[in-house]
Amino acid sequence: MSESLVTLALIAVKLGLIFAVILFMAAYLVLAERKILGRMQLRYGPNRTGPFGLMQPLADVIKLLTKEDFVPARADKWLFLLAPGITAVTALLVFAVVPFGPTREIFGQQVPLVVVDLNIGVLYVLGVSSMAVYGVVLGGWASNSKYSLLGGVRGLSQMISYELSLGLSLVPVIMMARSFSLTDIVMAQQNLPFLLLNPVAFGVFFICVLAESNRIPFDLPEAENELVGGFHTEYSGMRFGLFFVGEYINMVVLGSLLTVFFLGGWHGPWLPPLAWFLIKVLAVCAMFIWIRASMPRLRYDQLMNLGWKILLPLSLLNILVTGAVLLGWG
Amino acid sequence: MITLTADIVRSTNKKLTMPTLTIDNQTITVPEGKTILEAAEALGIVVPHFCYHKDLGAVGSCRMCAVTVHTGPMPGLKMACLIPVEEGMVVTTGDDASATFRERVGEWLMLNHPHDCPVCDEGGECQLQEMTISSGHGIRRYKGDKGTYTNQDLGPYVAQEMNRCIQCYRCARTYKDYCGGRDFGVMGSRNRVFFGRFKDGMLESDFSGNLVDVCPTGVFTDRTFRFKSRSWDLEQADSVCPHCAVGCATIPGGRLRELQRVCSGDNPQVNASFICDRGRFGSGYASHPERPRQARHKDQNISVEDALTLLESQIRTAVQQHGPEAVLLLGSDRASLETNWLLQRTAKHFGCRVPVLNAHARRHQTAQIAAFDFSDRLASLEDVRNSDLVLVFGVDPLAEAPLLALALRQMVRKQGRVLLYDPRPVELPCEFDHQAFSPAGLQELLENGGVEGRHLRDLLGQAQRPVIVAGADLLGPLGLQSLHAWASGASNAERSCQVYPVLAGANSFGTALLSLPEQDDLLTRLESGKVKALICVETDPLLEAPHGERFSAALAQVDNLVVMDYLPTPLSTNAGLFIPTCPPVEDSGTFINNEGRLRRFRQVIKPGLSLARTGAGEHPSREFTLITPGGDPLPAALVLQRLIRQEQELSELHRHLAEDQPRLKELPTITPGAPGKRVKPAVTRPQKTDKLPEQPAGTFQLVVSPARYGSDLFSRFAAKLAPRLTSTRLYLHPDDLFERGLKDGEKAVVETDFGSFRLTVASRPGMAAGCALVENNGDCPQLIPGAGLSYCHIAPGGADE
Amino acid sequence: MHVVRGIRGTLQPFWVTLRNMFRKPVTVQYPEEKQQLPERYRARLILTRDPDGAERCVACHLCSAACPVDCISMQAVEAEDGRRYAAWFRINFTRCIFCGLCTEACPTLAIQVTADFELAGRDLLKLVYEKEDLLVDHCGTNSNYNFYRQSGIGVSAPRGRNPGEAPPADVKDLMP
Repeated sequence: MSESLVTLALIAVKLGLIFAVILFMAAYLVLAERKILGRMQLRYGPNRTGPFGLMQPLADVIKLLTKEDFVPARADKWLFLLAPGITAVTALLVFAVVPFGPTREIFGQQVPLVVVDLNIGVLYVLGVSSMAVYGVVLGGWASNSKYSLLGGVRGLSQMISYELSLGLSLVPVIMMARSFSLTDIVMAQQNLPFLLLNPVAFGVFFICVLAESNRIPFDLPEAENELVGGFHTEYSGMRFGLFFVGEYINMVVLGSLLTVFFLGGWHGPWLPPLAWFLIKVLAVCAMFIWIRASMPRLRYDQLMNLGWKILLPLSLLNILVTGAVLLGWG
Repeated sequence: MITLTADIVRSTNKKLTMPTLTIDNQTITVPEGKTILEAAEALGIVVPHFCYHKDLGAVGSCRMCAVTVHTGPMPGLKMACLIPVEEGMVVTTGDDASATFRERVGEWLMLNHPHDCPVCDEGGECQLQEMTISSGHGIRRYKGDKGTYTNQDLGPYVAQEMNRCIQCYRCARTYKDYCGGRDFGVMGSRNRVFFGRFKDGMLESDFSGNLVDVCPTGVFTDRTFRFKSRSWDLEQADSVCPHCAVGCATIPGGRLRELQRVCSGDNPQVNASFICDRGRFGSGYASHPERPRQARHKDQNISVEDALTLLESQIRTAVQQHGPEAVLLLGSDRASLETNWLLQRTAKHFGCRVPVLNAHARRHQTAQIAAFDFSDRLASLEDVRNSDLVLVFGVDPLAEAPLLALALRQMVRKQGRVLLYDPRPVELPCEFDHQAFSPAGLQELLENGGVEGRHLRDLLGQAQRPVIVAGADLLGPLGLQSLHAWASGASNAERSCQVYPVLAGANSFGTALLSLPEQDDLLTRLESGKVKALICVETDPLLEAPHGERFSAALAQVDNLVVMDYLPTPLSTNAGLFIPTCPPVEDSGTFINNEGRLRRFRQVIKPGLSLARTGAGEHPSREFTLITPGGDPLPAALVLQRLIRQEQELSELHRHLAEDQPRLKELPTITPGAPGKRVKPAVTRPQKTDKLPEQPAGTFQLVVSPARYGSDLFSRFAAKLAPRLTSTRLYLHPDDLFERGLKDGEKAVVETDFGSFRLTVASRPGMAAGCALVENNGDCPQLIPGAGLSYCHIAPGGADE
Repeated sequence: MHVVRGIRGTLQPFWVTLRNMFRKPVTVQYPEEKQQLPERYRARLILTRDPDGAERCVACHLCSAACPVDCISMQAVEAEDGRRYAAWFRINFTRCIFCGLCTEACPTLAIQVTADFELAGRDLLKLVYEKEDLLVDHCGTNSNYNFYRQSGIGVSAPRGRNPGEAPPADVKDLMP
């Protein structure tokens, strides 16, 4: 009884910590993105709120919270109010199975540094992350605006197209780790990250992750300059904020997944495992930002071509090759 | 392939041929006699032109409409406005030769044109601007000096700026040829040609305002509209002139909540593209400084909603306590068809007796004869223009229906003949035979005829397209019925003798058509003493019906006097409950004109105090509010709908109205700006009687005629018309004057049934002997035209105090 | 070749953005530092006067017609001498987008732009400029132009006495 209570308490503590860390990271990722983008475009980025603009996220939150919560006329009110929540919550849910460190002993308890270590973690990740698209689609549909609807439709077709390759690119990883548990996958990379073992899977997964997170060059559902913001055109205040923050949580979460699946998780020399994990995640996020600064948006047909004609066959082929190699090796 | 249907082709003997020609590779079939320009216009090809005008025709003086004709014995550059179409003709408008020619023409038309477009009122609706740009001319190459002129002062209505003239002659053709004005024309020679009067002074014609519309550039502009707005800033809509019963198409324009000008609309069946000065410059009533804009109960200002609640309870109480007779709803011939019909609906809703739709009982009766008896033989003004013989009985067209005078002129220009029988010294802008008959004499002529009558009937029988113009005011029900007999007698199997009745109010025909034939008139019902609440909708019987003193006396027995109006009439100031309404320019609705034509008008401006008044000439207020000052008035039709709690869209209202009144079946299909359709002929014919009183010895027949300006309430409350108003005089035949020992300019006292008046006497040789002619305007509001035959005593009025 | 170009095109921007990271930003830190604005910068509008000191604006409504955001309104009236001028003239700078189309439409060169762009404020009404706020005491650019000398309607000089005009025609003269 007391043991399960302690377990629950531990989970609660971990949850709280993870919540705090992820939200903090998402908030400051926004700032970091704006700063880095600024410098890459020969600007300063936000530098007025606090020293070096460090209080900017706080100011933004206050601003968003105090803005009018606007619901368009004849919008589907409940879906409209619900949609931003779906985006943010699903992104957070994925993190439940992400291990961010080896099992540690705290107060005599074996504490795994993961909220729940599911033995079908990969399936859970795929399932929950594909729910995120509901936020986009419902938001776009419920707004009763043509821009939003177009954004929603684009988001839907984009996610369907890339979900496949995303899943398939993980199959080699599972084959190599011989487990669906994320912790096992990290353990399997103790010596050599899968990035080096199977760079093709990594490439496909990376591109699909970019597409899943709706970031440049795959930000067609938002496409400010053609759809005026796409699915979140009609959103204001903190509901828009939830969409916005959801995107950055997604970045952190997907960065963590990338770390877990391909970059060897917390493994690394000299530094403590948690630090390694953080460094890897942040590096992935930095890469995302750098890509955003450097690449233009794909056209819709290019997006579909890439997804269906290149990534999908490539990932299928990769499974075959990986299988063959594993079979050959024994 | 497009086929242009002939508007009205009257040439009966010749079989009509329809040539087909090709313009810019497009084929079109048009009636014979049409010009290349008209055919091109029908195809939507714009050929620049100045001197050609739809209703004035072409004179080929501007040389702007050059096109190239490729076929025929003499191919080459031709003026499109002058060349009639021929079978198989091939025409191009954009070829090098004609385009270059037009550019050169544009260039020399602009040789002397000043660079004053920014200060020119025509800017924005200037044909010269458009045609110059479409001709391609841009930069003046000629380095010589520009010619200038000295302008004339043409009075308060038309401003002249001769420097802008391009010598298209449209003004002279309009003023002299079309409208028959005599004090304006062309002067000078070679490049000094000047269009104006011999010397400064107000233009005398009652149609002078048309110069503003026809001038393709800014030589003649509306002085009352000077510098007020640009055309593109104006709120404009197709409307109908409310001043008389002709129902001319107008396009009023307003800005900053002020009705600033009225332009002529285009209705080929009614006014062609011209209107009279009364309609054009008589729009001031909408922004009259004393216009009541606030609902009022006794002396307290209240909101319209409260007023309606109060009114509803007043009506219900009166009906409950005193029965259906206790509430009398009074309609008006200046209120729209919808308003009058809604009054009937309101009566039904509250269970009161049917409303009276016109306070002037006799006018109402004559209008009913026009609306019922004449309904299968009504002539349009276009019919009058195309007629070969018009007999006019008891009408002074310039005073009662000015556009009728123009129509008569057009028929005379086409070799038609006008015979006019009227006690007044009638003037017309054309040649006509005038026989001065006294009102009693006229009745005698129409009823028994005699030699003159037989002669006229013979003429009618022989004419190809005869039209009888019947003045309802002077002839009364009896006269109109006699004329009906004349018209049916003169009709035969091939053609019918048509009648153009001249009624009084813009919607006289409509009110007559709506009302039930056997109703009592207003005074009978008021004097019965049963009426406890009188609700007058857009009418003031004191100013619009005779026997005002009887009306005032009967009013004393009425507990509640409710007035809905937009004019500052005496009744509206005395009303116990007042609800402000909107004039036609602030409302959408329908009038039925003289010829039974449904004429729709659309809201032009929204009610409200104009900025010119709230800002006193200064900039708009710097305090921003959501309330329009003076914006309370609602259209009467809306007020009534709110009263009975049945608000409907206008289209839905029209559907119900058409169901209710089978003769108005076409109403839902009519749009503002369209020529409008006629009402269906009536099946029933109400009988009217009129008693002619015996003439007491030593009396004169009193003839009350509407003044040209200031007789209808609209023009009485229009400040712009003040320069045209005349003071009331007593006109007598010189013989009568001599007999009574009176002299021109002396005062005389006239004892009439409507009170006695002390007026200046003037002699008029052209009028019937034995008559005393008084013009009705603001000076003598008790004397209302159309009150029937009555007699008056005239005594010398002594010297001035 | 195609592939090489594609790869180069994909990678080159990464190099450019990376290099930019280590350059000095070009941003001017506005309230502390101020930029030297170009001579023809478009900001606050003014109404200029002609060389004789009279108002140039003839209230022809062309600026308000050209204005894409409808921020200009006016009312024209006639002066004793026939001059057309604005009884009131209002520019709502809270709406103005400083596109300068009004100055291009102006036939009398009355409405002109200045480089004064610092119009921000908390009271919107202070940004609604009336004629007295707009009218200045100089000619702006084009210091020689006087519309009434070119237009030939006899305001600044009697009719037929402006440059390029013949004296008024004697219309009663019938000589060829």
